[in-house]
Amino acid sequence: MNAPLKKLTELTGLAFDGVRSGYVPPKQLKISPKLKLHRKAKQELDPVTFEVVRHALWNVNEEHGATIQRLSGSPVAMYALDLNPSILTEDAEFVYFGPYMQYMSGVTDTQVKWTLENRSDNPGIRDGDMFLANDPWVGAAHQMDVMLLCPVFYKGELFCWVTNCLHQYDIGGITPGSFCPSARDAFDEGILIPPVKIIENNEIRRDIEEIYLRSSRKPAAVALDFRAQLAGNITARDRVQTLIKRYGADTVKGVMKKIIDDGEKAFLKKLARLPDGIWRDRTYVECCRPGDRQVHRVLLTLRKENNRLVFENHGTAPQVGGINATYSGWRGAIMVALNELMCWEQYYAVGGALRHVDFNPTPGTLNCADFPASVSTAPVQSMEISLYPAYNVLSKMIYPDPELRRDVMCIGGTSQWPATIFRGIDQWGERYGYILVDPIGGAIGAFSHADGISTGGQARTPICKLPNVEHTEQSFPVLFLYRKEITDSGGAGKFRGGLSAESCFIPHGADSITHDTLSSGNAIPTSTGMMGGYPGAVNRYRFLRESNVLEKMQRSELVNDIDELTGQTETLGLRQQDFQQNPADVYAVLWSAAGGFGDPLERDPAKVLADVENGDVSTDAAKVIYGVILGNPEATAKHRAQLRLQRIGKPSGKKLGQKVQFLATENLAVRGARWSCAKCATDLGARKENYKAACVRIDLPIQASNPIVGDPHRYIDPKPQFRQFCCPGCGLAIENEIAIASDPLLKDVEISR
Amino acid sequence: MSYLVGIDIGGTFTDCAIVDRSGHLLTTKVPSTPADFALGMLSALGAGAQALGMSLEDFCREIDFLSHGTTVGTNTIIQKRGAKVGLITTKGHEDVIHIMRGSRGYSGRDIRKVVHFPETSKPTPIVPKRLIRGVSERVDCFGAVVVTLNQAQAEAAIRELLAEGVQAIAICFLWSFRNSQHELQVKKLVEKIAPQVFVTCSVDIAPKWGEYERVTATALNAYLGPVMSGYLDRLNSSLKNLGYRHGLQITQCGGGTVPVERAGEAPLLTLDSGPVSGVTASLFLGAAMGEKNIITTDMGGTSFDVAIIYEGKPAYSFISNTDQYEYFLPKIDLQAIGAGGGSLVRVDAGTRTMTVGPDSAGAFPGPVCYGRGGKVPTVTDAQLVLGYLDAENFAGGRMQLDHAAAVREISLLGKALGMTAVECAAGICRIVELQMADVIRKVTVEKGFDPREFVLFAFGGAGPAHAAVFARELGVKKVIVPQRKAASTWCAFGAAVADVLHIFEHTEILSTPVDASRINANLVALETQAKTLMASEGIAANRQRFEFSLDVRHKGQINEVEVALPYTRLPANYEARLRRLFVQRYEQLYGRGSALHGATLEYVVCRLRARALTPRPRLIRAKNTTRKIPAAAIRKKRAIYWPDLKKHRATPVYDGDALASGNQIKGPAIVETADTSVVVHPGSTLKFDTLGNFELTFQ
Repeated sequence: MNAPLKKLTELTGLAFDGVRSGYVPPKQLKISPKLKLHRKAKQELDPVTFEVVRHALWNVNEEHGATIQRLSGSPVAMYALDLNPSILTEDAEFVYFGPYMQYMSGVTDTQVKWTLENRSDNPGIRDGDMFLANDPWVGAAHQMDVMLLCPVFYKGELFCWVTNCLHQYDIGGITPGSFCPSARDAFDEGILIPPVKIIENNEIRRDIEEIYLRSSRKPAAVALDFRAQLAGNITARDRVQTLIKRYGADTVKGVMKKIIDDGEKAFLKKLARLPDGIWRDRTYVECCRPGDRQVHRVLLTLRKENNRLVFENHGTAPQVGGINATYSGWRGAIMVALNELMCWEQYYAVGGALRHVDFNPTPGTLNCADFPASVSTAPVQSMEISLYPAYNVLSKMIYPDPELRRDVMCIGGTSQWPATIFRGIDQWGERYGYILVDPIGGAIGAFSHADGISTGGQARTPICKLPNVEHTEQSFPVLFLYRKEITDSGGAGKFRGGLSAESCFIPHGADSITHDTLSSGNAIPTSTGMMGGYPGAVNRYRFLRESNVLEKMQRSELVNDIDELTGQTETLGLRQQDFQQNPADVYAVLWSAAGGFGDPLERDPAKVLADVENGDVSTDAAKVIYGVILGNPEATAKHRAQLRLQRIGKPSGKKLGQKVQFLATENLAVRGARWSCAKCATDLGARKENYKAACVRIDLPIQASNPIVGDPHRYIDPKPQFRQFCCPGCGLAIENEIAIASDPLLKDVEISR
Repeated sequence: MSYLVGIDIGGTFTDCAIVDRSGHLLTTKVPSTPADFALGMLSALGAGAQALGMSLEDFCREIDFLSHGTTVGTNTIIQKRGAKVGLITTKGHEDVIHIMRGSRGYSGRDIRKVVHFPETSKPTPIVPKRLIRGVSERVDCFGAVVVTLNQAQAEAAIRELLAEGVQAIAICFLWSFRNSQHELQVKKLVEKIAPQVFVTCSVDIAPKWGEYERVTATALNAYLGPVMSGYLDRLNSSLKNLGYRHGLQITQCGGGTVPVERAGEAPLLTLDSGPVSGVTASLFLGAAMGEKNIITTDMGGTSFDVAIIYEGKPAYSFISNTDQYEYFLPKIDLQAIGAGGGSLVRVDAGTRTMTVGPDSAGAFPGPVCYGRGGKVPTVTDAQLVLGYLDAENFAGGRMQLDHAAAVREISLLGKALGMTAVECAAGICRIVELQMADVIRKVTVEKGFDPREFVLFAFGGAGPAHAAVFARELGVKKVIVPQRKAASTWCAFGAAVADVLHIFEHTEILSTPVDASRINANLVALETQAKTLMASEGIAANRQRFEFSLDVRHKGQINEVEVALPYTRLPANYEARLRRLFVQRYEQLYGRGSALHGATLEYVVCRLRARALTPRPRLIRAKNTTRKIPAAAIRKKRAIYWPDLKKHRATPVYDGDALASGNQIKGPAIVETADTSVVVHPGSTLKFDTLGNFELTFQ
């Protein structure tokens, strides 16, 4: 066993310069004196000018995004909206960040800061220049997310930056499409480009562009996207300069600073209403390389001290195989949740909030990996597994405030992406390679006051759309047997998580399709519920070889589920390479669904009935998980009381008399120095202890957490559990935990003040 | 005498525009009757007859062309009063309309709300899951039948849905636009089993590529069907009984009208057709004025709608949204933002910031000055505080405004921001005006049009007060406040001057090179369809006009561009010219150098716009013009705050309805009509032209 990994704050003598460890900008940037920064900002702005310029800046960024989408026209840019434009101040504080792929936020400011520090002297940053960048150690999410950074000058001074990031179809590496599930390290993956001046004096540098395109299997597509990025930046730069001419540089800068300052004020106001404390979440990644049967732990800790937040990943497993992300990926993932839960009313203007947020990474971990770890799959694995716990810890932090409570959101669907990567010759006789985009349909997690949204998309991309089946069938040699929402997939709870869906297809117009899989979260649910809520469904691959589907089609009998067919069932591995799908082989892929909120025994029985009628919940689950005997209120009440009793044996514990100071969670009240059940006031121990120790603990097999979860042993050796922590007084599920049996209790909530 | 009549039903008023053959225009306005909109429509006609000194029957007998725009469809959706719809679709794909392409239906919604997940949800389904039945059948992307239609399942599905009590059945199968036989077979089956039930197929309403937007079009059409066809049947027979001898025409969202029978089958065409008629009217007036490039703006109480007319043709969109659902339908492209007279003003004292809209006070409680209990100031209140509106003579004297209340509430906002009431009011107007400039920018600059080449038409009650500002912001040289008499019934006027228009589409994705004969076969098929339909409507061949177009894209990309075909049939060597036209349009939209020269192209949709010319009114030009402003037009001066001058000034006010052709008024001034207030800023000039329009120009 190696020595335990240390946090950034515990390390000395290590350079976080983007070479070995991910770049972590210093508090004070070292910028060459050759580069003059425009620093003057008008302090007193009249509210009308502010609102007019603010609105215009938002529109500049929107037009920037629209320009890229129109020009790129690539399916990735259009369906997955895997892009994002932004505006930053001269010293790289966020002014506006678009509503597209939110991951890209955390990777934007770091790359601009790195460029300021490392390029301002040589080759220099001048008016008419732009920098191309995709190095994940400098700040990209993964190699395919290529950024184009454009400095905007005014009278010889660097006024601000407009930037964009766009996912590229292919930039090299051992797997077409550049997601490389079997990569040993970054040398098996796409080209790495630390920020390089690709536009100089408003002209494309041919030599640089050719280096960039040379490693791609699709150079024409990458070249086209590069022009889309270029046009986007030019549009935004011109509009900012027009605004400067119209309103004056100091006024426009004043507006930018005020947007950030206002965001900061709003953020501080929220923090002031919340208690200090520590919140933790734990989850696992499965299968780091073909054949791996281990799980790899991810831990997230959020500490709030007055008006500062600190995020740490300490305790996360070491970097390994092909599942990693770099520091900027981890930070970007957390910023998604920070934006959505705490900065939404500022249009995600996160610059002000970031002044009060510290990230304290532990280098060498799987989500803050050192060079040259494999990181090409980061956005669908390591970043997702880093993001979703952030929803949990932030939601628990804001829960105590009754108003902010309405912004609580459970983990959504596709919390790990079950990738279906395939290639071959299509029905038109052309070579193709594709990753099925359907899981973008995701699901939205439950709220503290309402159900989540079935197939409502992935929370990390607030606006996105999956392709129609007819779009996919036109471009690729497949025929979809079905695409449907899956009963019971949504995490159970007082408020149910959104349902996810399953796509099922056979080859059509081709003799065979060659496939790779790339997934995690197939054994252990990764969309955990919150505050007593249950997890959403796991990812699920189902593959039926030599089925009778063609005969059934011949007889005009289509099916609604792969189970209605006969054939040889084959269990696909989570990183299985190069397997063939022939015309009678049926492939179904279910993406994970969203987590539920609160104890399902507290769900309004009328809602459960409506769920059953709509096919959202099965009759079985209604009875077993929700405790509802349909259409019979008395029987339901009796059954629910029995289930609660079953959880705890017989009621015990003493009731606390003190007043409730506040609710730490839906079910956990703070009374003086003690925890208690929020519903029945039973004492749950001293506040400095883990309340879970005072609860009745029930260890259930992981299959009990959601009806879709199957035998985990198919994929992993360690044994996962569904742990329930119930009030000894009334049997209420205070909290659930998903853990490997050998892992200790998680202290998910600590309140210090 | 013979008349052209246009009637537009809005939420509050039913407007009627009557034009006689010599070009005289008469307008009437009566309250709408939501319980049965047909009553309001007939009473608007009655008011017209009365004004002409005729009986309603005599009047109806002399109408040559009666065209009607109705809000029944829109109301049905807002109030969720549509039919109970059953949906029959391809087995395995029953959830398409629920999955909504994995989005939350964000089109047309305020982005601030979209990014805040707890405020969002999917819409209440227009077809719940239990009323959707999957039937075994399958067509593939080549249009080939892969699974034959399972008749027994289809029949069972129909019977089950009928047992559930559905009033309408929608049928949408995968790839039906490539091969419609299964849909048509099931439709026949429904007609046989339940002839009383409204039935609609996706190929009848939206034969387009993409099952989600196609199934929503079909389901929405079925949802509206029974309500709309009931309404139209009643109306049609009432009119027949009154002696109207021609076919009733209904305005549609693609511009133009369709015969009442078609509107009954395809009521979806009528959704949002009201505002579209305003564009039709602008097209007509623009043609009379010799203006080919027009930005039309319509600002009412809650929203601001913009459309573009370029080279005499309106810009189209092919995907629309309603109630969060997206659906295919060719439609005149109207961009709307929540900025109207009723837009609410909010202030955050902590950060000293002020925002306007997109929420609106609506008509109830309305602006503070309406005195109906509204407490939050609106744009209308700001206009009143500045003096743009006359408290005593609002809406032609129909309504008294509470000036003091508006001043009080806006002062409070101003105080929080360190501004006086008038400064604050001027700021509110400025914010809303620049929001409007931004949305116009989106439909012009961002789509490759230079606003400096356009004139701007401003209509709607609240528009002319602001038009000069946003027009100047964009560099537009001239603002027209159209036809002062017709202005208040502009959409009704648009209905009266509309042509009959049918749009036919054929979708088939073809990669270049494509043989001309292959496309020509599609064009012939579309033309045959059009000719058959128009003949059945009694439209003689010499009145028929056909325009063909193709939607083209780069292979592998998603953006399609509509290219008008300069042919009725393609010659064998068409490709080079078509490619040039495509590149030209593509680069106009997306920027120079953006097209991939020599790339493989895909033709996706063949489209035919088939028009039938209808009788046109002649607009009468005034013979005499005079600079002299009639004494009757001069009203008492008012103290008005001018933001450009940063002070109040005693400002001349004119009665716009009494001005004479040739009159010119230099700003600052206010010109009031019964329905609107034109603000003539310092440095602008208002001219009253010979067609009866106000024309604003800037120095």
